[in-house]
Amino acid sequence: MDIFDGLMLGLSTATAFSNFVYCFLGVLLGTAVGVLPGLGPVATISMLLPFTFGLPVDTALIMLAGIFYGTQYGGSTTAILMNLPGEASSVVTTLDGHEMAKQGKAGRALAAAAIGSFFAGTVGTLFIAIAAPLLAGLALTFGPAEYFSLIVLGLVTSMVLTSGSLLTAFGMALLGVLLGMVGTDINSGAARYTFGTPNLLDGLNFVVVATGVFGLGDVLVNLENERSRMASIAPVSSLFPTREDWRRMVGPILRGTGIGVVLGVLPGAGVLLASFSAYAMEKKVSRHPEEFGKGAIEGVAAPESANNAAAQTCFIPMLTLGLPGTATMALMIGALVVQGVQPGPEILSQQPSLFWGLVVSMWIGNVMLLFLNLPLVGMWAKLISVPYHFLFPMICVFMAIGVYSINNSVFDVELMVLFGLLGYFFRKVGAEPAPLILALILGPMAEEYLRRTLLLSHGDATVFFTSPVSLGTLIVAALLLLSIVSPAFRRVREEGLQEAE
Amino acid sequence: MTADPGPSRGGRRRNDEGGEPVKISQDAALGSFFVAVGAVGLLVARDYPFGTANRMGPGYFPLIISSLLVLTGVAILMRARFGSAEAIAGIRWKPLAIVSCAVFLFGALVEKLGLPLAVLLLVVGAATASVKFRLDWKATAGAAAFSVVCAVAFVDLLGVPMPLAGSWLHAVGF
Repeated sequence: MDIFDGLMLGLSTATAFSNFVYCFLGVLLGTAVGVLPGLGPVATISMLLPFTFGLPVDTALIMLAGIFYGTQYGGSTTAILMNLPGEASSVVTTLDGHEMAKQGKAGRALAAAAIGSFFAGTVGTLFIAIAAPLLAGLALTFGPAEYFSLIVLGLVTSMVLTSGSLLTAFGMALLGVLLGMVGTDINSGAARYTFGTPNLLDGLNFVVVATGVFGLGDVLVNLENERSRMASIAPVSSLFPTREDWRRMVGPILRGTGIGVVLGVLPGAGVLLASFSAYAMEKKVSRHPEEFGKGAIEGVAAPESANNAAAQTCFIPMLTLGLPGTATMALMIGALVVQGVQPGPEILSQQPSLFWGLVVSMWIGNVMLLFLNLPLVGMWAKLISVPYHFLFPMICVFMAIGVYSINNSVFDVELMVLFGLLGYFFRKVGAEPAPLILALILGPMAEEYLRRTLLLSHGDATVFFTSPVSLGTLIVAALLLLSIVSPAFRRVREEGLQEAE
Repeated sequence: MTADPGPSRGGRRRNDEGGEPVKISQDAALGSFFVAVGAVGLLVARDYPFGTANRMGPGYFPLIISSLLVLTGVAILMRARFGSAEAIAGIRWKPLAIVSCAVFLFGALVEKLGLPLAVLLLVVGAATASVKFRLDWKATAGAAAFSVVCAVAFVDLLGVPMPLAGSWLHAVGF
């Protein structure tokens, strides 16, 4: 099936009435929850997951994608209006975005973000349509050694791109892998780390852990600084960019999109890297770099485009290899598995309507965001201003119901409380949970691929260095680790990531 | 396990919301945690067959990962001892305990009381954790309305299999 046929099939799937409606609902819900301050995308998506459980699989995935983009969009709205980045990758947006808002140009900043995101989303979708089938074809030739190395690369990237020390991040990743071991070993059937309870035989549900660590953990941390977290909301003015704005936006949007599309495919934390690099690049090529940080529209358009392009293309490794690049993608895999779909290279040939339907609805979701959410921005601003002491009890309810509904299990709710406390602990000791979450999904895969590799090679580990793909991947991982030792990169990383906290 | 709090400022300062000063440094706490979890992982994994590199047993990976975790924890503890360690900022136990208990109770009671009552309990219970909490009829009515909306949305519309009236209510004749 060529790309055109695929897109046609996708179009017919995505425009089926119910899918269209659910895509819209997803976008709307995602934005509504995404704008709420103090809720990152992982918490938002895990809270909204139960809304997709009862749906047929393609509709569920389409709605999830809608939620995902809505969350992204909502996050940048809060970043611009309130100077509260919901996730690390919207930190750079706050630098100039909130500055613009303070100067009374909030509407134009929001428009720049939305237009940039829309363009980037369109290019990103096209890129997926072209690159995903190619990569899936390539992935079919990958053996377990290649997969194992790719997983190592993903974990290394997420450790390098996490704020705090590398050692801490390494420990968090190990902890994640260890937590991933809980449950029945697929190879031997042995029950590992179940401590005698049958509730743990199926392993720790990823969504439960993510909701606990990111959702409940955030609530617990936010309650601690309740007094100091008052923030003012900038009023929203005219949404129409001036002719001057347009002129200044075009270049950054194009460059940001290019950076985002490429970096998003990287396993690890491509989205974060994309928005930072795009911002840094604009600052370099700009003729007036002194304006950056003081409300330069380039500083909003470029990282937002890069952010969205990368958010789009990070679906590629997730869908074609089954390897999540970010914590959000790991969550999407978790949701797919709940639906009984195992992402991987076969998804394209075995469930083409699912794959292409998703690709097309990503684009449709982006159109909806542009034409429906921009006019609604006044409503979102009102939502942001709901005081936190009304908000957090409801957030707790949605999290509890959501977690319960995965397996209709009270045990899961209690497990979530435990992980919420752990998430609080991690924040208190300055350990970022992103590597843990990624490792929780990647760990069991790593074990299985390592086992298969060593079985095929009769226990000879040099096979990782004799396969060119595997060797190349490991070299990239090693370079990343080395780069953190280099003082120049270290400084950039610290500057960039410090603000993410 | 305790460690030197280091010359950090945040350690002894009482924050304005009544947080208790904690004298353990971040690294000491995290390092101890990693060592403890890794040690438990090691102890438990001893019972699983290790296998060989050729044929990895169920104990192979857990043993390696747990050992690495213990080593990482020790390295972090060393850093806490010799490096510049940052102290943990004051912990407010009250909201921490209230919110966790409220969610835990929701889990424990949802099948016994039914969704609307459990939601009401969770909303009001969690809300008491806020410094801005005060009991007034408006907020209570809002919480009640929210419980009803949740029940309709999740049970009737989304079909989450939760009882509207739980087993305890059935027992008293509902």
